[in-house]
Amino acid sequence: MNASFNIEIRRIRELAPGIREFSLGRSDGEDFPVYSGGSHIVLSLPLGERQHRNPYSLLGDPTVRNTWRIAVRKQEQSRGGSAWLHEQAREGMRIDISAPVNLFPLDRLGRHHILVAGGIGITPILSQARELARLGADFEVHYAYRGPEYGVFADELETLAPGRIHHYVATRREQIEFSTLLAGRPLGTHFYICGPAGMVAASMNAGAALGWPESHLHSEQFLAPTGGEPFDVELTLSNKRFTVPSDLSLLEAIEQQGVDAPYLCRGGACGQCETEVISCDGELLHHDLYLSAEERASGKKIMPCVSRLKGGCMTLKL
Amino acid sequence: MSTLAVKSQPVYQELEWDRSGTHHILFVAAEDAALAHRLLANPPPGSMTLIRLNDSANPDSAWAKQLAASARYLEAHALPETLDLLREALYASRMGTRLYLAGPEDAIWQASQLADSFGMTRDEVRQMQLGTTARPVFCVHCRTITRGVHTNIVPCSGCGRALFVRDHFSRRLGAYMGFQIDAESPGDIPAAEVIYP
Repeated sequence: MNASFNIEIRRIRELAPGIREFSLGRSDGEDFPVYSGGSHIVLSLPLGERQHRNPYSLLGDPTVRNTWRIAVRKQEQSRGGSAWLHEQAREGMRIDISAPVNLFPLDRLGRHHILVAGGIGITPILSQARELARLGADFEVHYAYRGPEYGVFADELETLAPGRIHHYVATRREQIEFSTLLAGRPLGTHFYICGPAGMVAASMNAGAALGWPESHLHSEQFLAPTGGEPFDVELTLSNKRFTVPSDLSLLEAIEQQGVDAPYLCRGGACGQCETEVISCDGELLHHDLYLSAEERASGKKIMPCVSRLKGGCMTLKL
Repeated sequence: MSTLAVKSQPVYQELEWDRSGTHHILFVAAEDAALAHRLLANPPPGSMTLIRLNDSANPDSAWAKQLAASARYLEAHALPETLDLLREALYASRMGTRLYLAGPEDAIWQASQLADSFGMTRDEVRQMQLGTTARPVFCVHCRTITRGVHTNIVPCSGCGRALFVRDHFSRRLGAYMGFQIDAESPGDIPAAEVIYP
């Protein structure tokens, strides 16, 4: 359903233990389109007989059109995607990627921008910082990571905005204090964070307590689909009935049936894959960041990219 | 001539406090004792600043009288000076501030433009129309804004053309659109009627 490119892995760099950077170029030698800071692409990875799709933020300069860059952290509980990129991927290999989508754009009317990255969450922050630097905008970056060797983009950031990068290294017992970071900021300040769930939640709570309105608090998190118990699904429009195995997401199982389901981020964030639940005789396990509490309670909607059913059978309008 | 509201015409809600804010700036350019009582009798948590245009004959404002002793009170006797007070207050304000604007459209939309220039967004600013319904009118020919227009047809204060005052409103300009009514047949100008008292 989405525009896509076939790309060649041009270069692989080991940045730190468990973190690899990939430079990608189009297989047909053409230029990529320009994207906006905060955008991500979805990689289609050849895992055995099935395509495994993972979203990764573009971290390079949005105006560099011959090379796109991503950085991948090997997930401890990888379902195969990040493990393939760390163990199987080689320079010269070709794979398909989607066109960029931006669920984490900058607010260009902002008067000051505070960018915060936790660990590998630096990737969208880096392209946002580049865009702000190019616009001549007023910004600062707060970069938190586990140990000195994990501050993999520290040098690039320093070059980009000398003196405006603040480092927080966990092994030195340094931590971002959000109620201090967000206090006393001038009107028109915008806050952007990408990092672990606990860190994002702490920052949002601190912002709300200080009276920051939602429109000035921006965050991005991609969730990896978790496995779970198998369950049965019936699709009324496509007239299919099948079982979702424990190691596939509902969206992946639907795609394996040859049904063209909508999606963008595949990480529970964007809302594109929202699907109507006609009936279900089990408990809906909502893992997404998109549906409201009321929508969850209604039992009429599910985000198949990350959510599942516990036991029984569900009927979807798809 | 259309008098039906068009989509761009603002619709105002009754003012309510946004209790998620930590500093509240109330900018008032008209009297409304009932509203003043309702709002100020039940103030939100946090600090408050009241900025008032005091151009009425009655110096005994319901707004000033109801205000808590801990609040900051500022007033001026003309709109431009009152807007200057607001600019200074916004300059010193921090994230967490909410702005409430009550008064004629000319005043509240000039105040809105000021808030825009400080990077405030729609969820930080609330507006309510009070007092005269006179319109600020933007001349689409010479781009001058004629203020305090009570009639459906008005001479432009910039170029003198007879402008028909439309319901089409620009939030960016804070004014209704006015266009030359006798462009097709010069000199054929109907009598103006007072319709925005």
